[in-house]
Amino acid sequence: MSDATLLASQVGYGLRGFVRNARAMVFTVVMPVVLLLLFNAIFSGSTTFQGSEVSAANYFTPGIIAYSIMLSGYSGLLISVVTARERGIIKRFRGTPMPAWIYLAALILQSIVTVAVTVAVLVGMGVVFYHLRLDVQSLIGLVVYTLLGTATMCAIGLALTRVATTADSASAIGPFSTVSLAFVSGVFIPVSQLPAWLRDLGRLFPLAHLANGLQSAFIEHHSTGLSAEDVGVLAIWCVVAAVVAVRTFRWEPQGR
Amino acid sequence: MAMTEPGPPAIEVRGLRKSYDGVERVHAIDFTVAKGEIFGLLGTNGAGKTTTIEILEGYRPRDHGEVTVLGADPSHPTRAWRERIGIVLQESELDPLYTVRETVTQFGRYFSEQADVDATLARVGLTAKADERIGRLSGGQKRAVDVALGLIGRPELLFLDEPSTGLDPAARREMWATISDLCDAGTTILLTTHYMDEAQHLADRLVILRAGDVVGSGTTAELSAGDGDTAVVTFLLDQPAGLSTVASSLSATPSIEDGAVRLVSTAPQRDLYQLLQWAEGAGVELRGLEVDRPTLDDIFLRLTSTDDAGDSAAGS
Repeated sequence: MSDATLLASQVGYGLRGFVRNARAMVFTVVMPVVLLLLFNAIFSGSTTFQGSEVSAANYFTPGIIAYSIMLSGYSGLLISVVTARERGIIKRFRGTPMPAWIYLAALILQSIVTVAVTVAVLVGMGVVFYHLRLDVQSLIGLVVYTLLGTATMCAIGLALTRVATTADSASAIGPFSTVSLAFVSGVFIPVSQLPAWLRDLGRLFPLAHLANGLQSAFIEHHSTGLSAEDVGVLAIWCVVAAVVAVRTFRWEPQGR
Repeated sequence: MAMTEPGPPAIEVRGLRKSYDGVERVHAIDFTVAKGEIFGLLGTNGAGKTTTIEILEGYRPRDHGEVTVLGADPSHPTRAWRERIGIVLQESELDPLYTVRETVTQFGRYFSEQADVDATLARVGLTAKADERIGRLSGGQKRAVDVALGLIGRPELLFLDEPSTGLDPAARREMWATISDLCDAGTTILLTTHYMDEAQHLADRLVILRAGDVVGSGTTAELSAGDGDTAVVTFLLDQPAGLSTVASSLSATPSIEDGAVRLVSTAPQRDLYQLLQWAEGAGVELRGLEVDRPTLDDIFLRLTSTDDAGDSAAGS
């Protein structure tokens, strides 16, 4: 079996476990869908995005897509890797001839697949129910931001497995940081309504840029939404976190 | 028992040392495992068994010493080397959401040469549970899956770290049968255990570790013989308290439980003479008096005990 086939089979194996894991499914797929329905039911008016008026639906849908990418790429991956490590499952993989990179690459690809499915569902709902405009440019923006955003979130999730040493701490750190950042990144509350210092704080982290990028792609006419700042900040986070992850990753259960 | 093959040994360990946090856990131990044998690494918890086996498995580096596993240095495990070994860790859970067959099949894919999944499941007695989710298996069945995962790559050398710990007696017997069959099929096995009867039942040769030192080695028969003239003297007393007048002149401290006296004597002739003389003088009858060769349990307890005088304190 070639490494590529092995990688594909490992991704398939991981996904099979994922769909059987009710908690993971609820947190990464069901929750964003429910949030999208709730936000659009609650906020029917309009808000401002970069000075112009947009409908709440058009504002919140891309934000929740960004949120779902963080939930599954970052929080979901962090929890699943730390839990598997704590149970000695990763150590067992480590004792087989399967190269370490295949194991990690499979986890990342698995996240990309779950993100892709979730994003497709959210975009589909947005187009069908909430007048989300999908054209060539917004599609390009969506694909680029989804891929870059997922890679960034996965890298940060893997880097944090060094800090989150137990499944308990990962289950606290992952969702808590995701929800906290969502409030200051234009996901739950439009950034135009945030105090300046909170908005600036949010912009230090990748979620604000992922949300802003996706919002630009969907809201601005004939725009991919690809800005140097949003793409740049995401890329910097991605590279730094990937380097930290590769250098500090631990395969064996960490002290409780 | 296995036929050992000629040629280079499967494992060679010389002067292996390992420290954690500045404390040396393994002190310059030596042993050699021949190809085709079941070799036991026996010791109490904390004796250094898992540290040693995990160095041999390529999980952790050693501090000093020469270690060769299947002709290679395990501190730099390569993919080709991992193809040839199977590992059953002491503590490693399985993902409960997969079935037995799915798990074993996937692990087989990690190896270029893999055993037949159904045959492997049959070997560990899991045929009937093949399509059961791992989360629904008993402890013994989960351990059998661990062994199946160790075997699916058709290893030349299988590491088993406490394979039967926590299993009920029936499951232990099944585990033993599986391990014996593997050895008959030519697999070299390094087994750690803290059960003497397990080592006695399975291992061709063994080393006994105590706090990072080898305190005994050889075949089980050699270990028994090496215990020289040691004998176990047992008898029943109606009034055990009276024994204290003679206890101090014996070679070891006898243990007393519900009137049953047990003495692991290193000088049986002299001790028996003392006991019989005391009994005659005091008009006491040593009912059910027996003098036995020590069991491996007795030897193990004596070797792994930090109290060199004997294996247990007197009590009533």
